Amino acid sequence: MAGPRAEGNLGMTFYLTKRALSLLMVLLGLAVMIFIIARIVPGDPARIALGPLATAAQVEELRQEMGLNDPIHIQLWHYLSGLAQGDLGKSLLTSRPVMDDILQALPATFELVLATVVLQIVISIPLGVLAAYYRDTWVDNVTRVVSLIGVVTPGFVLAIILQLLASYYLTIFPIAGRLDPGLEFQASTTGLLLIDSVIAGRLDVFVDAARHIFLPAIALSAAGIGQVMRITRSSMIEVGSRDFVEAARAYGIPERVVTFRYMLRVASVAPLTILGLEFASLIGNAFVVEFVFSWPGLASYGVRTILQKDLNAVIGVVLVSGVFFVIANLTIDALLGIIDPRHRIREGQRA
Amino acid sequence: MAEPILDISGLDISFTTYGERTQILHDVSMKVGAGERVSLIGQSGSGKTVTMRAIIGTLPMPPGSIDAGSIRFEGTELLTLDKRARNRLKGTGISIVLQDPLLSFNPVLTIGRQMDDVVRFADMRLGTSRPRAERQAHIYEVLRNVQLADGERICHAYPMMLSGGMRQRVLIAMALLNSPRLLIADEPGTALDVTTQQEILILLNKLVDETGMSLMLITHNLGVVREMADRIYVMQRGRIVESGRREEIFSKPSHDYTRELMDAVPSLYGPKVTDVANDKADRTVIKLRDLSKDFPLRAGLFNRQVGISHAVRNVDLDIEHGDIFGIAGESGSGKTTLAKMLLGLFPPTTGEITVDGRNVADVAGTRDFRKLVQIVYQNPGSSLNPKRSVGDQLSVPLIFAGYDKSGIPARIRELLELVDLPARYASMYPHELSGGQKQRVAIARALSVDPKIVVLDEPTSALDVLIQNVVIELLQRLRSELDLTYVFISHDLSLMRNFCNRVAIMFRGEICEQGETPSVFAQPQHPYTRALLSSIPVLTDDEAARKPVVDAAERQAVLASTTTLTQEATNVSDWN
Repeated sequence: MAGPRAEGNLGMTFYLTKRALSLLMVLLGLAVMIFIIARIVPGDPARIALGPLATAAQVEELRQEMGLNDPIHIQLWHYLSGLAQGDLGKSLLTSRPVMDDILQALPATFELVLATVVLQIVISIPLGVLAAYYRDTWVDNVTRVVSLIGVVTPGFVLAIILQLLASYYLTIFPIAGRLDPGLEFQASTTGLLLIDSVIAGRLDVFVDAARHIFLPAIALSAAGIGQVMRITRSSMIEVGSRDFVEAARAYGIPERVVTFRYMLRVASVAPLTILGLEFASLIGNAFVVEFVFSWPGLASYGVRTILQKDLNAVIGVVLVSGVFFVIANLTIDALLGIIDPRHRIREGQRA
Repeated sequence: MAEPILDISGLDISFTTYGERTQILHDVSMKVGAGERVSLIGQSGSGKTVTMRAIIGTLPMPPGSIDAGSIRFEGTELLTLDKRARNRLKGTGISIVLQDPLLSFNPVLTIGRQMDDVVRFADMRLGTSRPRAERQAHIYEVLRNVQLADGERICHAYPMMLSGGMRQRVLIAMALLNSPRLLIADEPGTALDVTTQQEILILLNKLVDETGMSLMLITHNLGVVREMADRIYVMQRGRIVESGRREEIFSKPSHDYTRELMDAVPSLYGPKVTDVANDKADRTVIKLRDLSKDFPLRAGLFNRQVGISHAVRNVDLDIEHGDIFGIAGESGSGKTTLAKMLLGLFPPTTGEITVDGRNVADVAGTRDFRKLVQIVYQNPGSSLNPKRSVGDQLSVPLIFAGYDKSGIPARIRELLELVDLPARYASMYPHELSGGQKQRVAIARALSVDPKIVVLDEPTSALDVLIQNVVIELLQRLRSELDLTYVFISHDLSLMRNFCNRVAIMFRGEICEQGETPSVFAQPQHPYTRALLSSIPVLTDDEAARKPVVDAAERQAVLASTTTLTQEATNVSDWN
């Protein structure tokens, strides 16, 4: 009767369009803000680009070329319309379009972050459910300690410890990098090794890539796992005391179905929301963890450009992080819309 | 009585929290015969719900434990029955209808999905199975039995899309899906408006007649019991203190507690009714002129305004000094919106409010106005801050009113004394207080700045009837001692009859009738007032006979239907 069709699309398109529009506004705001900051930062970008030996005339020429002498709103317009076409300008450091540089490093970071989020969901939500089910027993206490350790240990500390223990002493995991240099493989379809290797049918590459990504992803996910697990637990306990759970039990619905279909579905709203918000700090932490594991992602590029005051590149990295964040939250919104019809219906009817 | 369907004897249940064991039920024995309607009466905390949970097998153990006694259902001992056999009885032998129809549904699954689960897993436990289409046909049929014709639309809806009355009907259908022999109903309809509640009670009675199942009704509302029970058990602090046939208990209750309970219920008509007078009405303190409040309805991608909701429409009211002015109406009638405008919390769309000669539009938010009008909220459990002590909470309004810091402790003592609480309560926290005590604190807080007018928003509806009376007496005393004017917002007309000297009935944002309380109750003019009064469950046949008689056509004209989907729900499903 009420199959997936009926539950599926009650105003879903409308809801997502609306969420996407508001997130687009967030991105626009971010872009404008970075532009303003870049103009406030002391130092003439043209002078920085040319170095201290350049003459005033050369600097003036470059200013003209970069449009720095135009009125500020014209500059903003050029900048925004460039952004709309995916043009982030040229990097001073590499003299290549910033977009090209970023696109090259992006898949590695994306893969790491994605693996982290998947780990977080797969580990923390079941553990949270378990802790709630066995509340106040040793199971609960053990998970509590584990989550506390995860939350209080900074990602990079955990990264170094893991690297030292698992890679250096025990040598069960590779110490750094994304793929064994001895393996010939070009990730060309999605840029994600774990997916492309499966598509290409290269099991050896998949296993090696998985071994490489495991430690950085664990280091990066620990804090989120701890938090999300605790929230899942308290959310499950709260939902468990609601009338509809008692009703479902009294109507004889099996405990397993009550837990997963009746309770978890309602209880997962809070942990999912937290996951979305966590994403911002996840990107920041990813930079540090990438450094520890020499992960060939955005981190090294981002850090180098910041140190060199390579403004276009910095803007590009920040914007890409913003896009990441927005996409992650849109995904979470979509999930919430599927899980809880009240989200999308409220959005449609808000008074 | 032939072989009883449910036979509880000598049941002792205790709870252990933080190592401390408290016995909740003491030697509880009760029987329910086949096809019989039995009521279990008691105040909150008396052990009614624990009894219910023990019967249906949802008692959390630990912390609960059943120390002695037996529960036999159709001759089978439930307490020693193995888990599978016991689970098999759930929903098929014994089923329940919980109090709040909204909270009893999973909010994120469609009604159809939840009903289908109930049928499917019951089949599974009984070792059979039916194809989906057959289950669906069965569900539609059961929905028709609770007078819901449009099964398909209802099954596609989410619980929140249905009106309260309709949800309650669906909930009853859900309990009946597997044809239980015993239905336990926990306060059915009390979360609903009185007119809707009456329809639900009629429906339950009809179902018992038609199916021959037994009904066990758990309630604190004696008026409901009178219409719904063949036999009664009265429970106090975990003990059954009295039991017997309904007529016997209503005509000559033998236990003090039962008598107390019955005396505490305010009467609608007859000799027990008290008329309230106002001998201080020397001037008009509140004047509402042509007052309206519209809320825009927004929808669409850019929150465009798509309509207007008229929460309050063209209200004219004069409240005299010293009045206890009742504003009655069901949920959504606009009475709370009216109160908020009176407090200056938001401005009216059109019209004017004058309080004590001053236009509220000019003085709202000023210190003087805050001192003039105060409010006591419905639920003291949520209107008091759980993290601050009583003294702290009382000092907040004093500070805002510009009280001298050094005078505050003395003033707090004075306030507590005013509401009959010992001074040491100032250092206590809300969770250490009972419901009635919390409401006293809330009243003290409202009175702290010496207001002239107090808005009482259902101040007793969260309290048991015995405590309600104590709070009402306190309010009456304070009114004469402090020369107060009350605006009393409520849906409880029996209480208003005995507490207010004037009443106004609100209906869809308008005042449909107002006047002196005795005359409004004796000769209600508006069909809505008549429908409301006729729906109130009363305690005696004499009172029932004096209620206005309303025919079906008249009811239909003023009451929202609980059997058809509302416009709102229709809109939502049209988005597909």
